[in-house]
Amino acid sequence: MESLSFNSTQIPKQVIPQVFTINSHLLQSNFKCCRFSFNTHLHTLCSSRNLSLRIGCELKISSDGKNKPIPKKIILSDGAPSLSEDVSGNEKIPAKSRKSGMMRPFGSVPRKLLGVLSNLPLAIGEMFVIAALMALGTFIDQGEAPDFYFQKYPEDNPVFGFFTWRWVLSLGFDHMFSSPVFLGMLVLLAASLMACTYTTQIPLVKVARRWSFLHSAEAILKQEFADTLPRASVHDLGIILMGAGYEVFLKGPSLYAFKGLAGRFAPIGVHLAMLLIMVGGTLSAAGSFKGSVTVPQGLNFILGDVMNPTGFLSTPTQTFNTEVHVNRFYMDYYESGEVSQFYTDLSLFDIDGKEVLRKTISVNDPLRYGGITMYQTDWGFSALQILKDGEGPFNLAVAPLKLNGDKKLYGTFLPVGGADSPNVQGISMLARDLQSIVLYDQEGKFVGVRRPGSKLPIDINGIQIEIVDAIGSSGLFLKTDPGVPIVYGGFGTLMLTTCISFLSHSQIWALQDGTTVVIGGKTNRAKVEFPEEMNRFLDMIPEIVESSLPKQSEIINH
Amino acid sequence: MIFSIFEHILTHISFSIVSIVITIHLMSLLVDRIVELYDSSDKGIITTFFCITGFLISRWISSGHFPLSDLYESLMFLSWSFSIIHIVSKIWNHKNHLSVITAPSAIFTQGFATSGLLTELQQSAILVPALKSQWLMMHVSMMVLSYAALLCGSLLSLALLVITFRKNIEIFGKINHLLIGSSSFGFGEQCMNERNNVLRNTFFLSFRNFHRYQLIHQLDYWSYRVISLGFIFLTIGILSGAVWANEAWGAYWNWDPKETWAFITWTIFAIYLHTRTKKIKKGANSAIVASLGFLIIWICYFGVNLLGIGLHSYGSFTLTSN
Repeated sequence: MESLSFNSTQIPKQVIPQVFTINSHLLQSNFKCCRFSFNTHLHTLCSSRNLSLRIGCELKISSDGKNKPIPKKIILSDGAPSLSEDVSGNEKIPAKSRKSGMMRPFGSVPRKLLGVLSNLPLAIGEMFVIAALMALGTFIDQGEAPDFYFQKYPEDNPVFGFFTWRWVLSLGFDHMFSSPVFLGMLVLLAASLMACTYTTQIPLVKVARRWSFLHSAEAILKQEFADTLPRASVHDLGIILMGAGYEVFLKGPSLYAFKGLAGRFAPIGVHLAMLLIMVGGTLSAAGSFKGSVTVPQGLNFILGDVMNPTGFLSTPTQTFNTEVHVNRFYMDYYESGEVSQFYTDLSLFDIDGKEVLRKTISVNDPLRYGGITMYQTDWGFSALQILKDGEGPFNLAVAPLKLNGDKKLYGTFLPVGGADSPNVQGISMLARDLQSIVLYDQEGKFVGVRRPGSKLPIDINGIQIEIVDAIGSSGLFLKTDPGVPIVYGGFGTLMLTTCISFLSHSQIWALQDGTTVVIGGKTNRAKVEFPEEMNRFLDMIPEIVESSLPKQSEIINH
Repeated sequence: MIFSIFEHILTHISFSIVSIVITIHLMSLLVDRIVELYDSSDKGIITTFFCITGFLISRWISSGHFPLSDLYESLMFLSWSFSIIHIVSKIWNHKNHLSVITAPSAIFTQGFATSGLLTELQQSAILVPALKSQWLMMHVSMMVLSYAALLCGSLLSLALLVITFRKNIEIFGKINHLLIGSSSFGFGEQCMNERNNVLRNTFFLSFRNFHRYQLIHQLDYWSYRVISLGFIFLTIGILSGAVWANEAWGAYWNWDPKETWAFITWTIFAIYLHTRTKKIKKGANSAIVASLGFLIIWICYFGVNLLGIGLHSYGSFTLTSN
């Protein structure tokens, strides 16, 4: 249907011009086929689907004995419509015929490979396998020691009758998302994406952009939605369609209008965006530096020391010599005592000791400098500063105590009496956060709670303890990732093109046949709403009454 | 305190209205000619929409953060999204059957949320530091909207499958009758009656078949459109989640169980969209994929939360019975 009436620039070598004269009683006219050209794409590669016949006839009709020929072109074609219908509707061949010229230098093997890869059921199968592997990756605990798998999937009592630790460790299921099986499937999917985009979607762009008028009422009436409207003018239809947002083209008696062409191109954009994301992800995986560090308040570290490369593309930069100083770490609390936010005041010094940046970071608000990003991810309790009987201040190191769940508990111990005796007794101090310290005496009995800096001493069996300060340590995660801009670009493109591909590409053809207008149209996605929309347009077209008919026909013949 | 009373009232109103709407729908199956019933069911859903909007706004005001931080709030948001989808689809096309799916879904999610199983989560809680971000609004709301749309679409496909396979079983039964009828040909009048019955049955069968065919066609189309819409929201939700993760935790993809299952859901619905581009007008293939998607959405939404591990542990809950 979108085959052009015969275009001489497209004639390949095998043109056989012939002249036929056909007498037909049915038509009561002689029409001569002036040019009957046989245009086939025959290729050495297989499949009869290659055959797309285009027969162009010019017929001269002598009617009413007037001998004034009214040129009409009848275009018959087959095979082409399947490309215009849907994005990847047909798998391989008609599009390959178009690009065969380009592939000739590479030989037949890449062509076959391309054909195999751009097969849609294969891509669907790959996606299923990837989904299944990901699901398996969530059920099997990742990253544990082999011993864990020996116990969980023992050989003498296999899960589902066959799944033992041998499956897990040999196939790499304990690190599923970086295992060769999974990565191999991703690579295969990427190859399929590229092959599919190249073979089916890019030719689709050429086909969809190539619009053409339909010059015969029969061709128009063959569309999905077709109607005839007596006593109407194609111009009125054109105006109504323009008002409804269509792009309208009028040539003589025929009209072509379309809307939503972006909806045809958007799936290509989706696939390209996914490829972009995969490239960015690969770059991230192979070329970034990562590291985490817990720095007590008041101490420094050098960026380059704490970060490790993740792959072979990782190259350090000059900013790795920067020194980071944790000025202060503090937390905000709700009234109920829960933590509201963590803050770390950081200063960055370059290699000469000059301060280049100072910022307070918190969760969801990282520090960015020279390509390196620092995130606030964790916290710890480093030391407790106390005054004992007015002397000090002493710094007591604080250790984390193990609790179930993610609540933290820290404790420290101040020995009382001889520190050498085997049963050392002393004062225990426990803290959940930096707000308040709970103190216990030598027998382990609860004594009281004190806040750091409150200047309120507490008396424990004659010893005066005053909590001066709770010194925390900040858990920072550092990263430099060159793939992030690419991945973000891919994300944005994917979001945009996915939204656009919701649009439906609607095409309308119309022909002024005497005083009736023949209208046909089709759309690729909105198949139920399109006929209703068309009916609304047709209802809006004004009917031409008898008195103005002669004028109309004059306009048409121009 | 006044906010919680307000919330209670609103949830009760919306729950009762939705149950009335469902009753009206069931009645309209039997009594087809009363058009006012359809209108009233529409108005009922609009009222529900406003009630739940009021609930969400009052919760926003009382707790100070966007009302999507734990499971209870996300379930209420889900039932709100169902009512939105119902209203939007009515604006698109007045004659569709989507309301059969959206109204019961809205009531079920709301009922589960307000039931005794989740009382401890119904108090509005404070936000942990990791959730204090503008991204919370966009990411979680997009995800819940997408769940609602995809659930509707996959339920429509499930309905399509049920109708298709029931039709096959019934035709098989009718063919058996036909064969038996024709084999008893030489037995006179009794047999003629039987054959007439069979012919009448087949006439009705073809009439019912036509309606079924139309219904299947409609269900297929609407399932496709709603799932495409849901797919767009899911894409935006996953990608905004990835950008947020990069801002908060330093990596845009961590293979967290929730993230992985959201990606699996995305993959399954991408498969659904791709099985439709082929010209197989059976329709059953894509419907099977969409029905699988229904299961997977529930695993993604609830199943992962039951495990309670990973970076998304805010949504976890334990079922307590009191």
